[in-house]
Amino acid sequence: MVDNSRDVLAADLLRGHTDTIVLGVLRREDRYGFEIFKRIRDATGGRHEIKEATLYAAYRRLMKDGLIEAYWGDESQGGRRKYYRITDAGRAVYRRNAAAWVATRDVIDTLLDIDGSPDTTQRRSS
Amino acid sequence: MTLSDETPGGAGMHVHRLLDEAFAGVEMGPDQQDLKEEMRGNLVARVTELTATGMAEPAAARRALDELGDVRAILDATESRPGPGEAAWQPPRVRPNPAFAVRTVVLSAVAATGLLVLVLAATVVDVPLAAQIVAVAFVALAAGAITADALRQETTTNHPVPPARAAGYGTATLLATTGLGAAWLYLRDAGLPWLVAGALLVVASAVLFTYLGATQTNRHKAWVLRQQAPYGSDRFTEDPAAAARFGIYTVTVWLVAAAAFVALTLTAGWEWSWLAVVGGFVAMTVLIARMLFAPKA
Repeated sequence: MVDNSRDVLAADLLRGHTDTIVLGVLRREDRYGFEIFKRIRDATGGRHEIKEATLYAAYRRLMKDGLIEAYWGDESQGGRRKYYRITDAGRAVYRRNAAAWVATRDVIDTLLDIDGSPDTTQRRSS
Repeated sequence: MTLSDETPGGAGMHVHRLLDEAFAGVEMGPDQQDLKEEMRGNLVARVTELTATGMAEPAAARRALDELGDVRAILDATESRPGPGEAAWQPPRVRPNPAFAVRTVVLSAVAATGLLVLVLAATVVDVPLAAQIVAVAFVALAAGAITADALRQETTTNHPVPPARAAGYGTATLLATTGLGAAWLYLRDAGLPWLVAGALLVVASAVLFTYLGATQTNRHKAWVLRQQAPYGSDRFTEDPAAAARFGIYTVTVWLVAAAAFVALTLTAGWEWSWLAVVGGFVAMTVLIARMLFAPKA
């Protein structure tokens, strides 16, 4: 899954983790929307980006659940930036989801390779 | 809609125009306005990034908006149920941290045990002085730790206090409790040095509390401040012109009062001239009332 090109990236699988990804981006410091978008884009080397529309919806959802909170920056020129800050509850949810993902990933890895053997030529043609 | 008036050129201008175009025809409520402002900030950042790569600004602005996609789709996606004004005022609730609750209960139990030992020592059981000292230490440490820990917690309305400051409050509490404990031990037949040390500790804690209190800034959350805004601030901070008018009125009132006082003293004499001062005072009071608590327009 890692070294395949962007076409095979399981987009809906990723989409299901948008909220957790956003929480992860905010873990270290407060960021504003475009910064978050850019972090995600750059972190995947441009192979995956979450649509800004999706992100705007995610921020509002996370705020409603009290996992993040917003405040306006004090930029004087151009547009003021709306910064997001993760709450303690958000951190807890992030940790839980990240742990759940690791556990799930291990299970899926195991299941996908259920009959696997060190022998890689074992591919049935049906 | 509003165009380039408030925009000092730069990265903003084209974004503002395109954004206004994109939002044309959208029914604007607080939520929509909020989203638009947020988008504006993000778009300006994106345009800055694009122009840094050498793209011309109008093209960059156009490209940033295209990347954003359909504004209406975003508006739909972020739509919360349209209870007017209600949805926006649901402050996000911050749940208490379970570990904090456990810590507080355990520390409270420690403090309660220490207090129990002290009470028993004072009433029925004969407890050696050393054990009482240990009990006081436990109570003080627990009280300090509970205080610092509680201040570090984030609540629905307040941000957590910075670590150093929380530790300061914890230390001050510790000092105060230790000082009181030392005074109590003096009453329980410890020597005079205990009383002196206790008094010094209490003074030290008072100094520390005073310092912390004087340098405290409230770390209320944004929505708390927003809710307080209509009530909390007075007219002069909202409207500097009113403050200036108030100054002029004040000078005028007292000038007139002084002139009237002199005139009355010369004509009607001392028996009546004091009325001018009373009149000035009344005018001043009415003025303050009118200026500070202006009737709503």
